Parts: sequence; structure tokens; C-alpha cells
Amino acid sequence: MDMSVLFDAGVVGLRMLMPLYAIVIVYQCYAAMRRRRRPEKPLVSLYNPKSGGMIPVVFWENAIGRSKSSDIVINDMTVSKNHCVLLRRSKGWFISDVGSAAGTFVNGVKIRGRAQVLIDDIIRVGNTEYQLKRGDDFNSPLRSSWFFSKVSDKPAIQAWKLMLMITLFHLFMAVEAMFWNDGTNVFSPFILFGALAAVEWGFFSVSYFALRRVNFELESLGLFLTGIGVMMLVRQVERSAYVQLIAAGLGIALYCVIIKFIEDPDRADKIRFPVMIIAVLMLASSIVLGRVTNGAANWVYIGSISFQPSEFVKTLFIFIGASALDKLQTKRNLIEFIIFSVVCVGLLALMSDFGAALIFFVTFLLVVFMRSGDIKTVLLPVGSVAAAFVALRFFAERINFIGDRFNYVLNRFKAYRHVWDYANEAAGYQQVRVLTYIASGGLFGVGIGNGYFKQYFASESDLVFALVAEEMGVIVAIVAALAVALLMIYARAIATRSRSTFYSISSCCAAGLLVVQLSLNIFGATDILPLTGVTFPFVSCGGSSLISCWGLLAFIKAADERTYSMKR
Amino acid sequence: MKRTLRRSTLILIFTIAFIAGIGFFTAELIFNAKAWVDQPYNAHISGSGGLAQAGKITDRNGNVLAQTVNGERVYNSDADVRSALLHTVGDNSLNISTAVQSKYRSKLTGYSLIWGLNMPQSMRSSHDIGLTVDANACKAAYEVMNSYGKRGACVVYNYQTGEVICSVSTYSYDPQAPPEITEENEKDYDGVYLDNVVSSTYTPGSIFKIVTAAAAIENIPDLFERTWYCEGSEEIGGHPVNCVDGESHGEINFQEAMEHSCNIVFAKLAVELGSEKMNATAQRMGINSSFSFDDISTPKGHYDTSNATENELAWSGAGQYDVKVNPMQMAVICGAIANGGKGVCPGYIKSGSGNLLKEIGVTGNQTFDLLNQTTAQTLGSVMPQYEFGGMSIRAKTGTAEVGDEKQPNGWFIGYSTSQDAPLAFACVIEDAGFGNTYARPVVEAAMAASAQAIRGH
Repeated sequence: MDMSVLFDAGVVGLRMLMPLYAIVIVYQCYAAMRRRRRPEKPLVSLYNPKSGGMIPVVFWENAIGRSKSSDIVINDMTVSKNHCVLLRRSKGWFISDVGSAAGTFVNGVKIRGRAQVLIDDIIRVGNTEYQLKRGDDFNSPLRSSWFFSKVSDKPAIQAWKLMLMITLFHLFMAVEAMFWNDGTNVFSPFILFGALAAVEWGFFSVSYFALRRVNFELESLGLFLTGIGVMMLVRQVERSAYVQLIAAGLGIALYCVIIKFIEDPDRADKIRFPVMIIAVLMLASSIVLGRVTNGAANWVYIGSISFQPSEFVKTLFIFIGASALDKLQTKRNLIEFIIFSVVCVGLLALMSDFGAALIFFVTFLLVVFMRSGDIKTVLLPVGSVAAAFVALRFFAERINFIGDRFNYVLNRFKAYRHVWDYANEAAGYQQVRVLTYIASGGLFGVGIGNGYFKQYFASESDLVFALVAEEMGVIVAIVAALAVALLMIYARAIATRSRSTFYSISSCCAAGLLVVQLSLNIFGATDILPLTGVTFPFVSCGGSSLISCWGLLAFIKAADERTYSMKR
Repeated sequence: MKRTLRRSTLILIFTIAFIAGIGFFTAELIFNAKAWVDQPYNAHISGSGGLAQAGKITDRNGNVLAQTVNGERVYNSDADVRSALLHTVGDNSLNISTAVQSKYRSKLTGYSLIWGLNMPQSMRSSHDIGLTVDANACKAAYEVMNSYGKRGACVVYNYQTGEVICSVSTYSYDPQAPPEITEENEKDYDGVYLDNVVSSTYTPGSIFKIVTAAAAIENIPDLFERTWYCEGSEEIGGHPVNCVDGESHGEINFQEAMEHSCNIVFAKLAVELGSEKMNATAQRMGINSSFSFDDISTPKGHYDTSNATENELAWSGAGQYDVKVNPMQMAVICGAIANGGKGVCPGYIKSGSGNLLKEIGVTGNQTFDLLNQTTAQTLGSVMPQYEFGGMSIRAKTGTAEVGDEKQPNGWFIGYSTSQDAPLAFACVIEDAGFGNTYARPVVEAAMAASAQAIRGH
């Protein structure tokens, strides 16, 4: 038989294997997240000498009060609805009064601010007294959430095996790229693959040997997606692939720094204000230093390096929004954060970066809701933004500075769900091509490098979903999207097991931000939503965007209690 | 912590909404993938490479119109047949969006959502398509149209089965040797990628009198007892309405007005009927609607006199004002007159290999009620009679003024009353002159060949 026929069959076989392989990898990443958990046992317990009852304390931070939504509910009229917070820090257990009417007492002394409590200390809230006991003193079993129902010390898959699987996936991508129709530069994908593998295993080694972390599944997921983005570029703009890889390295560094930096949630609270100033200055810098690129003035150029400050500010935004439980319940007013958010969104709108402004706005809503739980506080800004939109629509032609870009947005709305009528106009040009090339790829893709969508503007960034779908098949594209979307399920599952609400709020909001960004990216490009202009987390080409995604992932990692407490 | 968990449900809703969105997208992809793939800009299928695996296209008698031989697309051996059927069959490019080779390119090349468009040839299954058109009939019409060097459209279809026998649009070119259109020759190819039969609208002029006549038959009881006096020109609504070249028809009844195509009588009828009744009839006869078949939607015609002055309303009765119609639409209306009011949806696809017809969604004879039966019969009986190609014909000429120092559009529409050749037709030649001079010879050639095609001799 002719050798080329054999090759053809092999390449097609490989293409068909890849979607299945991608599913297995993403499944293994998530399966690994569920394992190696401490069993559901109380950390300490509260003994009520009068009734003889025992209350398990299962969280690191526990709201105590009369309100039914408290973590420890006390049915005593002298107890305020939100009375105090019992929390664990590295130095032991503390109790913090959050503005109760009757006050909180430790061993008969009324506390101010945060006071340490030791085992066997008596805590009095209202007319109710508790004695702090060890967790082991409570001996009824507790029920786990479904996500952790398979508590086991054995990992679902060894971290290095999972990494090997992922590296192999990227190697297969290089092989696919080798057999592209063009036939030139056959071996260049392998050079890129070598560099990618070095970054992947370098990171793994640092985590495993230097930081002595037991688990690596979240990082694996990030590397899997980052690697897909990098390898896709080898047959499009090879140079960008290396730039993207350098950005991945920087993103991983940022990831490690953030995790270290927010190790102490109380320290994070103290530097919130300076961080806010930095965030606003960064955004303002793109107005002063920024150059208009593709209609939005959101790029800053320093020498030959260009970056998007708004991407980095996303990370800071999450940091600023989150807070520990006792601070959350005392500092009820959100004014500071609201003013900060209005400034951020305003600056982005001024830069005509409506995509980023929308992401910030939705994230702002998430943060506000996570902090206050008050739907009214959320609806008010939604209403005002809707009003602003209508006003802008009315004045669009009069405000020249942002008018052009805004009119583009309006045009996009006009073509929404009618893109085929605007196939050769700006309003529908990208969307129809996205749909055509996604469909052209079929389930398994036409092979890396064999697509035609890569010739279009923004195909490697805002429209990367179609690039992946055309060349690797729609299954791989959807699996990559789900890999990001499911981060929210994970963030939520670890929410009550975080070491502080600072982590659970920041991880949920970071995951929420990624999901919102992902939705705008995919649904904007495929005309399911009338918006475009944001990146696909981890996969899109764009250094700033990739770095910020790793920054956001750090918050999710930090929310997992094992990150800080479990060492090899 | 419990509160944080509870509040995070809001964010979980985003994820669930995202997954639902992906589900929605997947459904859209499954249902529309084929339509999404068949686009002129799709580099996977445009150009000759895109047809390397495509199946055969044949006319109603099995004559090959296009096929792939050794990876090359080869069209019919007769240059006139190739040019005549350019807009129906298409060329290697995807420029003519309504042509079979454009619309169904992915089906011809065996696209499937599973394999996409870059699978080895052995894994693909290409399809053959048989068309309803007759190569000879198209050629006959094309030769006459091409001799004028004008743009135009001619369609003949079987008003009982819906089969389109002849469909020609000019300008045209040879798909075997497509011209390179440059700034110098672009005038010769103006609008060449548009199939005028299914994609263009024109001012109808006098052929629109069949609509005015239908409205009059239904709404004016003593129509046939009346007579009018035509001086060739008359002021209606403060401005003149005149017959062609100001010719006076003298005292005439309705039947004679139809035969002489007297503008003044129809203008007066339109004014008497009023805007509301004229619009209602035009609407009913489908002037303002679009016919959909074989993944084509004809453009909507236009008749709306709700804001017209009296003089404009008068002119609209003779098909001037801002009235617009599409040739295919007029053929369907003529077919409906012949058919006792029922319009039969036309179609170009006769057969397909495998389950192609199902995939394309060829539905067969969809019918519309365009006129009631007695109106249709009465209207048919007043339409001028002709005799050619061995058939008795009822037809109406039209010469539509279009202004802009252009010659009028010449129209000829009608149908055959012969049982063995149930054919309806519409033909328009742009920037030409009298319908009788320009459109009628085209129709005579097309009808004779079409009748031969369906009679089999």
C-alpha cells in the first residue's frame, strides 16, 4: 500500500482521537479536585453547659446570631441577628463582635474587636453561654456535599500522570500540525512543543518540589487550556506562539505570587485601599498613554512591549471586592466599593472598551451580591446602566469621542439574530464566518493548520472558539469551554471549606468573571448574544489576557483549604 | 459561610445559563450546519477544488449539465446551453448564490457535520442532482435574449406540477471559461451574478392590468356592460394619464380595453375601486409576498397606494407609479389564472441520489389561493388570445416606462390553455422597448421548446 495513504489514515485517526482524549483529561482534572479531602469533621465544637447540647463548628469562619441564615443559629431574643463571628486563623481561634446589641463576652470580659479564644474558654452571647471544645469531642457523623462524597486519601489520578496526559495531548497537536496541507516547516511544531513542555514541567516541579503542594489539578487544567492556545498559533503566527508562551510563564509567576500574597486574609484587608488606587491609576494610564487600537483605546505601549492594563485590573478588582466574614458583617456599607467600580467602568467606557466594561460591571454585581446578599443593591446599578445605555444611544452621534465605537455596538445589536442579512457588512461579517467555519470543521476538525478561518482578523483572539472548532473539531472547542465553565462548580463546592469568606467570595467571583467572559466570547462570536470583543480565557492569544486569567485562577486555588494547609 | 454559599448560587446560574447556551448553539449547529457551510466566502468549498468530489447535475432528460471528470468540473458541451443555465446550475465560484452549485455545494460534495470538509475522498459520499429544466428550451430562450444584448429574464413552468422547464437570466457568461471582470468590462457584466428570474424586481407596466382587472371583476358588478371613451390622454387627479404614444382608442368596452391595453380605462378603474380594494387584491394575488422554494425566496414585489395621490393611484392601475414585480412571481400568478385561482409553487429539483431530496427539503406541490375560481375564469377569458408552438395562449404584453432616459422594460406574461402543455410563462427584457417586439419572440421560442420537452415530441 502507498505510504501516504497510511499517513492519511493515521492523521485522520489522530484527529478523531483528540476530542475523546480532551474529554478524558478534563474529566480527570475535575475528578482529582474531589479527592484527597479531609473528611467532614468539626474543627472545634461549642458545648452549652445549660442544655448539655453540643454544636459542631465546621467552617473556618462562622457567623453566630439569631438569623436563620447564620452558620450557628442561637434562638435567644437577647442575641442579635448577626451577633459575632467565630473564626480560625493561623494563631488559633478568635471571636469578633459584629455590632451586637448585648455584646460578646469571653470568660466574662466584654470583647472589643477581635479576641482570641482558647479551648475550654467560655463564650457568652446574649444570655447564652458556650464552652469551646475540641472538634473530636463532637462525635456524630456529618454529611458531606455531593462534590466531596467520595472522600478518599487516594488521588483519582497521580498529579504527574495527569500532567503526562496533558503533555501528550499537546504533543499530538504538534504531530497534527506536522501533517498540515501546506507541507512546509514540518518540524517547527516540535520546537514549540519542547518549549511548552519545559514550561509545563518546570511549573509542576516548582509546585511539587519547592512548594511541596500535594495537588496540581487546577494548574493542570490551566496548562491544558494554555497549551491548546499556544499550539494553535504554530500554524498561524508562529512568533505569537512564543510570545504567548512567555506570557504563560509570567502568568504562572503571578499565580504563585498572588497565592503567597493573600495567604493572610487580614493582611489583604489592610492593603485594600492602596490596591484600589493602583487599579484606578492603571486604568487611567491607558487613557493618558493609550493608543487607539481597533477602536478601543485600551492598549499601553512601553517600548516594544504592549499590554492592556484593564486585563490586570480584573485581578485587582476581585481582590478588592472580597472580604473576611467579620469585616463583611461590620462594614456593611458598600459605598467605597461602589464608587471604585463606577470609576473603573466609567474609565473603560471612556476608552470605548465596552466588552471589558461589561465584564467589570457584571463582576461588580456578583461581588456586591456575594457581599450583601441583597438583590436590591444589585438591581439599582442594573437600572442605572440601562438608563445610561439609552442615554448614550440617544446622544451617540453627538459624543464624537466614543460615538463611533458605540455606534458599532448599536449596529451589532441591529444585526443580532439576523447576521446572515449582514454577511458582508461590519455588523455581521465576523459572526457568519465564525458559523461557517465551525460547521466546516465537523466534529473532528480539518486538522491544525488546514483551516481557512485563521486568515481572518481576530481569529486567534476574540474568535478563537471558531479557530479551535474548525481545526480541532467542535467537540474539543466545547470541551475547552466547559473546562472553564465548570470552574464555577468547583469554586462553589469549596466555598464553605475555604479558610475565609475572603477566599470563597474571591474564588466564586473570579470563576464567575471567567464564565461571563467565556459566554461573551463564544456567544458573541456565534450570534447567541449581541456582543463581541473579549477573549476566551486561557486559550485566546493575548499576553495580558492570559496573565490575568492565571491571576484569577490563583483566587480559586487559594480558596481550596489544602493550598495552604496541606503539604507533601 | 453558609450565606456565601447560598449567594454563590447566583453565579452558579451563570454557569448553568452558559451550559444551556452551549446546548442551544449545538442544536443550531446540528440543524443549520449545511446552510452555514454553503457560503461564497467559504474557502473550503469555493474555487474548482471545492467541486473536485461533487456529483453530477443533469437536466430533466438526463443531459449532463455539469460533472467532475478527473477532479475537473466540466459543463455541458454546448456553449449556449452552458450560458443559458449559468444561473440555474452555477459555476465553480459561489458568486451566484441561488444556483444549485452554490446552494447545494456542500451536498454535492458530500458534507456532513461529522466529517466536516477536509476528510479524505474515500470517506465522502457525493450526490447527483437532477433538475426539472430542459436544456433545449433554455438554450432556445437564451439565443433570442442574447441576440438583443440586453438584461432580462425568462421563465416557463408547468402550472400543474410546479416544474420549471425553462429559466434564463441575462447577462450571462460561459461557466467553462468565466470572464475576469475588470473595470473596463464591468458594464457588460452588470448584475451578472443575479438570477433575474428569482432575484430581481421590475416595474410591470401593462402586465399589472391583470391585477387591476381582477379587482374590477370582483368589485364592479356591471363591468361588462360599461363602455369608456378614450381620447388617448385625460387628466385624472390634476395630472394627465395617457395611452402609449397618445393613441386614442375611441369608445371601448372592458374586453377591448384589455386587448388594446388602454391605460385610461385601467387608470379610471383603479381610481373607482380606490386604494383599499386595489391593495387588497394585489395583496391576495401575492404581489407583496415572497415565494419560497428550493432554498430560494423570491424578492417581494411592491404595491402600496395607501399614500398615493389620485393621479398616482390612477397610474398604478396601469402598473406604473412605484409598483414592482418579480418574473417568477408573475409566472406563478399566470399559472393560478389557468388553474382556477390556485398558484402552484415552482421548483427546480426533480431528483437526487440517496436521500438528497429529503435533505434539501423538496416538498412538492405546495399551492396558494391567489384568486377565487370565478374571478380566475373570467380574468382568463378577457386576456388577449395568441397561438404559437401548437398551443392556445392567453397572455398580456407590457411596456413599462422606467424613466432615467432608459428604454421601457418589455414584458410578456401568460399561459397555455392546451391540456397537454400546461405551461405558464413570464419574460422581461430590460431597457428594450415594446413587450410585443422584445419579450414575445423569446417566449415563443421558449414555449415551443418547452412544450416539446413535456410532450416528448
